Amino acid sequence: MDYIMLVILGCAVVTFIPRLIPALFIDKLDFPPKAEKFLNLIPYTALAALICPGVLTVDNQLWYIGLIGAVVAAGLAWKKVPLGAIVILTVIILIGVYSLVPFF
Amino acid sequence: MIISRTQKFIDGAKKAVPITLGYVPMGIGYAAIAIKAGMTPLETISMSFLVYAGAGQIIAASMVLTSATAMTIILTNFVVNLRYFVMSTCVLNQVEESNTPLNILAAHVTVDESFAMFSLSEDSSIWIYLGIAITAWLSWCLGAGIGVVLLDLLPVIVTNSFNISLYALFVAILTPAVKENRQIAILVLITAILNIVLSQFLGNWSLIVSTLAGAGIGMYIVDDKYLMGSDD
Repeated sequence: MDYIMLVILGCAVVTFIPRLIPALFIDKLDFPPKAEKFLNLIPYTALAALICPGVLTVDNQLWYIGLIGAVVAAGLAWKKVPLGAIVILTVIILIGVYSLVPFF
Repeated sequence: MIISRTQKFIDGAKKAVPITLGYVPMGIGYAAIAIKAGMTPLETISMSFLVYAGAGQIIAASMVLTSATAMTIILTNFVVNLRYFVMSTCVLNQVEESNTPLNILAAHVTVDESFAMFSLSEDSSIWIYLGIAITAWLSWCLGAGIGVVLLDLLPVIVTNSFNISLYALFVAILTPAVKENRQIAILVLITAILNIVLSQFLGNWSLIVSTLAGAGIGMYIVDDKYLMGSDD
């Protein structure tokens, strides 16, 4: 098989299998309360791990760009700004920050 | 019944708008790398449709660019995307009004963002989830489609600025919980530090190890009554 087709299909299969397994077995599982609590905690810990340290690599040269973006987003969320507006405002502010970078 | 399903799907699709704001530009960025790596436009878009894994695809395209063996690329993708097992389990444990075929469809469109957005949703209907996740999926494919057409037209500063959009979304989803609950805030801080340290040693495994270890620590430091998405 063609190299790129092999990569695409191989990646599709190994990505789908971990997603699929819970779909096949979840109905047969009745999680005890402790396991439910564990699963309910995962969104928080997964988000924490997704953000840190990945956010510092938003720009490979300037680590503080991602940090500024995260602080701006957190500040807006603290003030209860809607999610879509947070995303747009953070991007706009970062474009502004970039335009200032040459002056430092 | 049909109307309420459609309505829920549309409600979900509306919730996905902040995700699409990040996915379209990120999809364009992925397409730029894929085309540079020698993939055809059809291959580039097919990968978004079939694999549907943001970081995984970007890593795969970068590895194609460096002529890594197919086996190495596939194994790396397996490790990078193993976290979807955890997310798929969480989502499918939360959904209501579902069945196995819908669960399988939901599983394919489970990514960090659809999982995170759904964890905020008060209504746990599968139709809300599919509305969020399928909209996000299509916007990711649309981004790749736009990318292969108008490549390199966007200035670097603009595309770099869009790199923050998904992180802005993650931070925005997490902030209210951190603000309202000190125990969750401490857990988030511990997990973040854990992942920063572990990523030095474990590389791609670090994310999933930190997520699970963090939840394990949370079992001891978070009161049962404060959990997001719990029905009681």
